[in-house]
Amino acid sequence: MAGPNQKKLPDGTRFSNLGGVRHGVIDGFIGQGGQGAVYAASLEGGHFALKWYHDSYIDLDTGLKQRLTHAVHRGAPNQSFLWPLELVEIAGQKSFGYVMPVRSGDYHGMRDLIARPPDRVELTLPQRFIICCKLSEAFLQLHAAGLCYQDINFGNIFFNPTTLDILICDNDNVNVEGADASIYGTRKFMAPEVVRRETLPNTKTDLFSMSVLFFYVVMGWHPLDGKREADFSILNSEAEMSLYGTEPLFLFDPENTANGPVDGLHDPLVTRWRNLPSDLKSLFTRAFTTGLTDPNKRVLERQWRSAFTRAAHAMAACGHCGGEYAVAAGAASCGYCGAALEPALYLDCPRGLFALTPGHGLPQHLLGGGSPNFKTLVGVVEGHPSKPGVIGLRNLSDDNWKVELPGRAPGLLPPGKTIGLMAGSTFHFGKTQVSVREAQAKEVAAV
Amino acid sequence: MTTPKKAAPNLDTLALTRRQLHVIIILDCSGSMAGDRIASLNYALRSSVPELKEVARENPEIEVLVRVLSFSSTADWLIETPVPVGEWSWQDVAAGGDTHLGDALDAVEASLNADVMPGRQLPPVIVLASDGYPSDDFEAGLQRFLANDFAKAAVRMAIAIGGDADLEVLQMFINHASLRPLRANNAPDLVEFIKWATTAPVKAASQPTGADDPQSALAGQLEQFSAEDTDIVW
Repeated sequence: MAGPNQKKLPDGTRFSNLGGVRHGVIDGFIGQGGQGAVYAASLEGGHFALKWYHDSYIDLDTGLKQRLTHAVHRGAPNQSFLWPLELVEIAGQKSFGYVMPVRSGDYHGMRDLIARPPDRVELTLPQRFIICCKLSEAFLQLHAAGLCYQDINFGNIFFNPTTLDILICDNDNVNVEGADASIYGTRKFMAPEVVRRETLPNTKTDLFSMSVLFFYVVMGWHPLDGKREADFSILNSEAEMSLYGTEPLFLFDPENTANGPVDGLHDPLVTRWRNLPSDLKSLFTRAFTTGLTDPNKRVLERQWRSAFTRAAHAMAACGHCGGEYAVAAGAASCGYCGAALEPALYLDCPRGLFALTPGHGLPQHLLGGGSPNFKTLVGVVEGHPSKPGVIGLRNLSDDNWKVELPGRAPGLLPPGKTIGLMAGSTFHFGKTQVSVREAQAKEVAAV
Repeated sequence: MTTPKKAAPNLDTLALTRRQLHVIIILDCSGSMAGDRIASLNYALRSSVPELKEVARENPEIEVLVRVLSFSSTADWLIETPVPVGEWSWQDVAAGGDTHLGDALDAVEASLNADVMPGRQLPPVIVLASDGYPSDDFEAGLQRFLANDFAKAAVRMAIAIGGDADLEVLQMFINHASLRPLRANNAPDLVEFIKWATTAPVKAASQPTGADDPQSALAGQLEQFSAEDTDIVW
């Protein structure tokens, strides 16, 4: 955090890499934070962002230069990180900085998902799940490289609402697992053992902070804010220590409702929670029950990635209000508006359920191997051009599909063609056989 | 991906009540503030409005509300009913009269209750800017003020305007072991300090921390302050 009167570097200031081989110039001030300021900069014909540390910060964070040197040397864990590219210095200046790629303007901060209108970015649940899936993948790569982020929160992660790609910024806190941390973390994102100051951030506390971020992305709310939080009229340091440190309790803890939802206060959260896919609810429940107290039992990135990938394809929406619900839950009526729901159709694929809703693209990763790739589609669900309520599946692949419809002889669906969908049909995608099922209507169970 | 027919109302966090953060600004408008000091104070507050709006936008989980009290021979609310920061605009104040800081603290204390601040609250932020010595029974007012639960929990910040301000009084108001008054000895300092004192505690609600309590975290930031170069010193 910045104190007042930090001297800004003037436009036109020249800098060089630490070897003095490459030279660049500062083009303009972008913003400043607690550790330093960020500038637009040119270096050998390319445009970059340059972070320049406050003199006071490099005195405090003595491991900074070594961390950054290591980060630059090993390179970004994957394309989702705005990673330091090179350390730089300015003649006559005590401090130093680094250059990194520029974040393009079509990315939004995670905060915009819960912002008040008009700043709010509205995304569907499947879009939110895809963002979480990509975050899981990015942190998997980071942790697999023996690094930990230390300060996962919604201030330093960005998303593109169109492509759903993510960017993880502020990577100068990234550290080798086991090395002394430079920071405790951000309020409400720190693991309970960090809040209690029993440990410094590490990969296991990263897992906790990541699960809090996921809960925010999906629910727009903090997982430990329930009745007990509501009962604190003033949220002072002691209250925060209790809620997030010494006595944390999940809003939807199935065993202990002491911090459960309050009627009239948390109703939208209860409705949304009831309509999430059950395996995703199980993961959240584990993350915020056993995972609260036992860092070794926290949900791992691969488990999140797999659950979010499945969830991204397993949602349907109420035709009346747009409220989203898990397709296989078989709700008889919409949990949001109460309208009767048509029995939903879905494909029971080897890697998860695929909701048969118009516009939904069938990705290869639900049918067979391969890591999640939401852009490679083999088919797409289409509404009948003139008969409302009638839907079909178009073959976007290069192969013929063998299709078995109830009471008819098997036929072939060539590439580019569409066939009507009904419960009991079977598709053969190569060697993978997939059936069309209809959700059994029932009342959705309570929380 | 499924595409709902209408904008999904399913994440209706608009229906969820946000925890409130009240920012209360107490300004010394006594006679000694007349001239360039009050002009600078007005300029400082006016330029703080957009900054506070911006940090509030970065904290969508909380609702920031502002009140402003000026004091001289009397304590007068410029904004008595807490106004959402998004609707806040600055009206210039004028200087003249005595320095009734005790009255000011009484007025603020009387408004720190669950009627004015209902439901879920964050510790309020109370910023005091003053250039002189209280001319009323300040200590009695302070005692009543610090006995109030909201005031006790508050992040209390003070700005001493000019070299003749009573630092001891401001320190008593802050009532924290490591947080000190900010000493504004010229106009640029005052502008920076007012901006910082109103925005930093709001920012702290969502920023990385290495400290154990919010006021200590702010005290840590004070160490980064460097004096602005200027020829005009108050």
